[in-house]
Amino acid sequence: MRVTFGSSYRNGLADITRTAEELARRQREVSSLQRMQVPSDDPSAMAAAIGERSEMRVYDQYLRATDSVDSRLDVIDSALSDMLRNLTAAQSTVAASQASFLTQAQREAYALQLGGIRDAILSDLNIKYRDTYMFSGTAADQAPYERNAAGVVQAYAGDHQQMAIDVARTSSVEVTIDGSVIAQGSDPDDLFKVFDDLITAVRAGDSTGIAAGMAGLDRAFERTTNAQSRVGNALRTIEDHKARLGDMRRASDAHRSTLEDANLAEAISGMQRADAAHQAAISAVAATSRLSLFDYLT
Amino acid sequence: MADLIRMLGFTSRALEAQRFGLDVVGQNIANVNTPGYTRRVVDLAAVPPVEPLSAGGGVEVQGVRSLRDLLIDRRLWQEHPEEQRGSAMADALAGVEAALGPAGSSIDGALDSFFDAFAALADAPTSSTARQEVILQGQSLAASFRDMSSHFESAIRETDLGVRGAVDEVNRLTARVASLNAALSGVDPATGESLQVHDELAVAIEELSGLVQVNAVQRTDGGFDIEINGGALVVGDRAYALGVSDRGVTGVADVTLGDVTITSALRTGTLGGLIETRDVLVPGYRAQLDEIAASVVREVNAVHRQGFDANGAAGGDFFVPLAGTAGAASSIAVEAGFSAAGGTALVAASKTGAAGDNGNARALADLRDALVVDGNTATFTQAWGNLVYAVGRDSAAAQGIRDTHGEIVRQIRNLQDSVSGISLDEEAADMLRFQRAYEANARFFRAIDDTIDILMRTFDA
Repeated sequence: MRVTFGSSYRNGLADITRTAEELARRQREVSSLQRMQVPSDDPSAMAAAIGERSEMRVYDQYLRATDSVDSRLDVIDSALSDMLRNLTAAQSTVAASQASFLTQAQREAYALQLGGIRDAILSDLNIKYRDTYMFSGTAADQAPYERNAAGVVQAYAGDHQQMAIDVARTSSVEVTIDGSVIAQGSDPDDLFKVFDDLITAVRAGDSTGIAAGMAGLDRAFERTTNAQSRVGNALRTIEDHKARLGDMRRASDAHRSTLEDANLAEAISGMQRADAAHQAAISAVAATSRLSLFDYLT
Repeated sequence: MADLIRMLGFTSRALEAQRFGLDVVGQNIANVNTPGYTRRVVDLAAVPPVEPLSAGGGVEVQGVRSLRDLLIDRRLWQEHPEEQRGSAMADALAGVEAALGPAGSSIDGALDSFFDAFAALADAPTSSTARQEVILQGQSLAASFRDMSSHFESAIRETDLGVRGAVDEVNRLTARVASLNAALSGVDPATGESLQVHDELAVAIEELSGLVQVNAVQRTDGGFDIEINGGALVVGDRAYALGVSDRGVTGVADVTLGDVTITSALRTGTLGGLIETRDVLVPGYRAQLDEIAASVVREVNAVHRQGFDANGAAGGDFFVPLAGTAGAASSIAVEAGFSAAGGTALVAASKTGAAGDNGNARALADLRDALVVDGNTATFTQAWGNLVYAVGRDSAAAQGIRDTHGEIVRQIRNLQDSVSGISLDEEAADMLRFQRAYEANARFFRAIDDTIDILMRTFDA
């Protein structure tokens, strides 16, 4: 086949253009550290990368939610711990008030002590976190227990639902508590009525009343312990859950990286090869363009 | 003596023939870079002897011809349209690809931010800041859809401009072919002028074939009639122009030939590639985007209506309801009430009406993973990924067509060059050949002239 002036330059130019395009592509890969610049570079990898990035956003969201749950449960746990300390102090005070040799002033002192403990438990149950009452169920803007004008604690004002937060696609954690379950449970009266009756009995030296009040405190202690046990369980699970979420996120990121990121060593090597090919193409054209019979005619 | 005079005569014709050969070589060298120029060769023939004892009558120029293989030309006219179709589609889709944005920062990023905002609201259902964030992300998502729809619409408009421009170019070339046909009918086929017209005809038809696949039928006078889909574009010296009419509501160009709309029949060449991009590919992407947007509006509104807002009232629509799927991406918008004073309270996070209940916010956040698009087989993000895949796949396919057929075209051009192209080395050799022949004939002419001179002086003496 005849090799003509036109075909020589056309083929040479096509090779130079092709190698230049490859070199430019490799340069972009090295400078951006991205394997794909546009979807047509690898359509299926691009679609998969979109999915992995979204999945990572999901894990990030669940990690934030887990941190929030952790904080809330810590607050609840702290309040319940304080309640248990207060109930223990109340039990000690009641036990001391059962002595037969107490004076009225001493009985009054014990009654005042019980009043203080009752107020402390009221504060524990009315605790707020991020503008939400933790022991009101889902009535987040309503204090679970309030005093009337006479200073008497009213009945439970929250609801019996619980707010839950999703920490994974298939699991959630309850982060508010129905306060009535702790303060009353299946008893006819709530803990504050028990305290009020107990204070009256201590003042009067009513041993039957004091015994009934002590039993009420014991039941409240058990309910509080049960609640704290559930919260403690959830807190322990949260730590493992956080670690798992972290692992899954890292795995997702690793997959995303294999799809999107350029292997630097491979990219640099490819760029060097492309550069060499480009130089060779230019040199070949330059060499063939110098050859002409006209140069030898005198 | 008469023989010597006759020898002077045919030597003179020989000098003219060799000079003519040098002239042809010169033309070839001068036109080495002229597009479409085919190599000229001079046909020389020996003049037969007029007497029994004569060796011959010298040489005469029979004519000049161009070296052209019409079979190769037709092959090129067949392959060129597909290369140009791929090229046109690749160029048009490159713009669409750029508009899609990088992974994680486009519609997919906006969707994630939107559902993240609902999840944050579920974490703090009494927070007005979290409610405000939901509204802002909803507005941002809607804006992202509208922007993307606008990009697709721009791509359709730009491609439509390309179609109109290509039609104009086709008409210019068919007019050129017709004028060249007319020129051919008025020139002597044996002359160089005729060869030049043939070259220009081949160039025009090749350019035309790149725009749209045509059937070129050669006429007896060497000209070409051009047909497209059974309709005539050029018959002899008459050209029939393609027309453009605006199509219905869209306003894009329909291509007509006479009274017949031929848009859908144009499947190859630049025109075919642009029409396919404008009428099939980009509208398909826009329809996919509309499907995603419509699904977002439908599903979010359905869940939002089941909840209760911060005032305890039943939740309404979050997005402005759409009449249908078509155009959803260009018209999606958050209900205006959310931007008004007190609008943040309208976000329905609660399922029971209690201030601290976050059931509806959780349900809205869970929509991220709901299979509600593409016939309930894909999530919103997966559907977006499918759209990105479709654009990437089509763009890669167009580049493949362009590159594959481009290589075929290049090989055919090499083949064409091997027949019709100019080799400077060959021309140098021919130049030397004709130059040496001219020198030899000149010397022979001198020798005969000297001989005649000797005879004349002999007779004088």
